[in-house]
Amino acid sequence: MAYLNLFWPEGTVLPRMLPLDIFHMETGGCTGCALELRSLSRALVEGHSDIRFVSTPRQAGLLLVTGSLTVEMAPVVELAWQAMPGTRLLAAVGDCAVDGGVFTPSYAVLGGVEGRARASLLLPGCPPSPAEILDALIRWRMQGEDELSA
Amino acid sequence: MTQVADLIRSGTPAACPGRFVLDEQGWRDMAAALSHSALPLLGLWSDGGQVHALFMEGTRPLMASVAVTDGRYLALSPARAGASASERIMQDLWGIEAMGATASAPWLDQGRWPVTWPLRDRPPPAPAPPEGVEFIDDATIVQAGGTVLGHGPAEGDFNAPFHLRLGVPGERIMQVHSRMGYAHRGLCARMRGATVAQAARLVARIDATATVAHQQAFADALAVMEGNGAGGMHDAALFVGELGRIMAHLDTLAVAAELLADRRFVILAATLLERVRQACRDMCGSRLLFDVLPPAGGNERVMSLPAELLAELRAGCTALRRLFWRPRGMAMQARGRGILRADVAGHWGIAGCVGRAGGVESDPGPYGSRPPAVWPDGSRAMAGDVTARLALRLHEVETAVEILSTLDAVALTAPPVGEYGSGEGIGCAEGPAGPVWHWLRVENGRVAAWWCGDPALLLFQALPQVLSGAMYEDVPLILASLGLSAASADL
Repeated sequence: MAYLNLFWPEGTVLPRMLPLDIFHMETGGCTGCALELRSLSRALVEGHSDIRFVSTPRQAGLLLVTGSLTVEMAPVVELAWQAMPGTRLLAAVGDCAVDGGVFTPSYAVLGGVEGRARASLLLPGCPPSPAEILDALIRWRMQGEDELSA
Repeated sequence: MTQVADLIRSGTPAACPGRFVLDEQGWRDMAAALSHSALPLLGLWSDGGQVHALFMEGTRPLMASVAVTDGRYLALSPARAGASASERIMQDLWGIEAMGATASAPWLDQGRWPVTWPLRDRPPPAPAPPEGVEFIDDATIVQAGGTVLGHGPAEGDFNAPFHLRLGVPGERIMQVHSRMGYAHRGLCARMRGATVAQAARLVARIDATATVAHQQAFADALAVMEGNGAGGMHDAALFVGELGRIMAHLDTLAVAAELLADRRFVILAATLLERVRQACRDMCGSRLLFDVLPPAGGNERVMSLPAELLAELRAGCTALRRLFWRPRGMAMQARGRGILRADVAGHWGIAGCVGRAGGVESDPGPYGSRPPAVWPDGSRAMAGDVTARLALRLHEVETAVEILSTLDAVALTAPPVGEYGSGEGIGCAEGPAGPVWHWLRVENGRVAAWWCGDPALLLFQALPQVLSGAMYEDVPLILASLGLSAASADL
């Protein structure tokens, strides 16, 4: 019955495990980053991870953007951002989402989120591998927890 | 067929082999003769001064061009339905009007671009963007008081963005409107003035699911331009092409299995996919095979798959096939959904994997780049439904694994990157979704005009017929089985 010590009022304060719900948006690119995110999503589901990709921004705490942010997609990103509840954060994955990548300058492309919005996580790469994305997400999360506990 | 081809060949031969420039009357005669001919139209585009139409005569490309007079030309959509989206795209990008077209509404430009007709030399500024999107529903939907449901552009499903407006008066979809342009990046404008190497990097990033096919078609077009001829795939290009096909099909199969809740299939397909991607990274330095073919990826290297991986892929394919066809498996669940019949595919000019699943006999390419696909189970499964498409993809994975196992270590030799002068060329490669075409004109080493023809554009036009009668819940599965990519349709 060793687990009962978890119910004792004394002892170390255990960190509260908050799930990370991510809503992904492809905003106009080659979808390479999205393919790698799809692989990551399958691995997370299989591993019963508390990092999850959700199908609506209304459940999400993190908006993860890939692609070069086309002019047509900008209002859609804004709508998704407004639909997110509570504390919300923005992440940009891939060269295109960070600064537009190879698709800038163009009349149809705004060129990523850098300089337009304050992103919590910027991960360049063309495309970054699922391991790199997961590593960045976990590091960013732990960094956030350290800051909270400090 | 002969008559139209003869009419085209009566024009003035142009710089590109197989292209003939017609006068206005010649184009008019060709458009009139098309309605009595079966000559397949594969693409329609403009370079500003001329409009070009690409046909396939047997296994050879045949192009007809006509000068744009007063910003107009005679439309081909009354005779070839698949030309409609291309005509609307030309109107959006160049402001060139197709006279007598079956539809004239914008396809790409939804009013948010800062300029109108952006590919013109001096594009006029655009009016203020619209406040909302206006759709006109069919009278039947309005009368039935039916529900209208949307799909996209952001579904959290890792696909390129597009929007579908689906009218569902009862339990089945009756009306489908698509709204494109969300994924349009202005690639035509980006290509103009770019060096050939810069253009090749952009071409590799048109669509990650068919990146090798785009690189191959672009390299073929360059070879034709240089006068070397598209002499078929050499071993290295065939090798990476089959790797790309395996990855695209496995990903599609895994997505479909996720939607059908077949967890064992998902795990196996995703594991094989990850193995292949890791092998690609080890061999070529890119998990998705970006920049592997010259001129963008000119590094000389020797590529080979480890024997263990080939054995694993072969065993994996057998296991996937068993899971797919097992009782109450994916094949049984998806049967009869999302049917794309041969006549619908022929109406829109759809070829490739999706067309073949419906029974269309399509040639894999004009240059015989790949051994012709053989349908495994005869005509029984050519129903054109989701099951047939997924089964054909699974079969193509098995075929690709066999092709790879016949190739030993292949050496990718980079051709000497010389100065590209001036010229014109066209190339084709069979991608996972169908034939991919690239045409380009180079002037003094820089791209002056470029066009890319991707099967996705035809598939998007055929969506109303594929989705009509389907259940709303089946839409993601049907879209996944078609392998739709808005990134390559919008460019």
